[in-house]
Amino acid sequence: MAHTVRGVDHVAFPTFEPAATVRFYRDVLGFPVVHSVCAAGWGPEDHPDFIHFFFDIGNGDRIAFFYYFGTDRSVAGPAGAKGDDYARFGADVPEFFVNSRHLAIHVDGEEDLLEYRRRLDASEWPVFMQVRHETIESIYTHDPNGYMFEITRAMRPVTPQEDLDANLTIEALLDVVGGPDPSFGNLLARKAELIVSRAAAWEGAHAR
Amino acid sequence: MTRLYVLDIPENTSVAKIAALDPEVTVDRIGPYFEIRSEGEIVVDRRATTCRHAVWYSCVAGVDRGSRITQHDRDALRVTPA
Repeated sequence: MAHTVRGVDHVAFPTFEPAATVRFYRDVLGFPVVHSVCAAGWGPEDHPDFIHFFFDIGNGDRIAFFYYFGTDRSVAGPAGAKGDDYARFGADVPEFFVNSRHLAIHVDGEEDLLEYRRRLDASEWPVFMQVRHETIESIYTHDPNGYMFEITRAMRPVTPQEDLDANLTIEALLDVVGGPDPSFGNLLARKAELIVSRAAAWEGAHAR
Repeated sequence: MTRLYVLDIPENTSVAKIAALDPEVTVDRIGPYFEIRSEGEIVVDRRATTCRHAVWYSCVAGVDRGSRITQHDRDALRVTPA
């Protein structure tokens, strides 16, 4: 099957803070404004007039926002104790879940990462966390809409065996989530079987 | 037989190296994985590996059905016969 897609065209979020959003993305981070749509509401009668505006996030990819005239946060229902301007959650929703959905933007190296950190730290939206995961280093902040925003660099290239491992993981995952014991222990057991049956042959195909 | 698998990537090599310090433990290879096996328990001391948390808690690629992880915390990884 041909794999002809070319990255993210755009990812879109609503904003109730267009001025702060432009300050954050254009003025603080230096992401150019590359496109916008000024539209009178059309379609369903209750559709407000809106501005759809885009920032370049590198590579020709874009992050976009919708600002709907005449609306405020109440359009999305009651305020949440946690979450952001799109996703609102009660105080009882665990942090791991609240933080799971986020956007990460790639930079090539440490110098670039630290430059974006300097820009954010000098702004109203300083970095709240900088962390080295196993093979990547990331900085995190929240944008003016509360959306979690990450910039990340790879500390080394991904190795071919990690691609094999990822594929065995997914195969094991599909096997166990469809079965009677969808547990981590069962996934590792199923993966062990796949390693035994597949991994030796893979090395032959990737002789070092 | 207790048996687990660890992917051979730079961050994981110390896990196999520390496991192999136990004379009862054999470290072999199957494709790009370390196969770590023993007739009894396999215990890997986390501090000895110097693995950071994200690496430590994601270093196990597979565990044979005849084996079971009974400890995987800040101190050690312990795999025992099921």
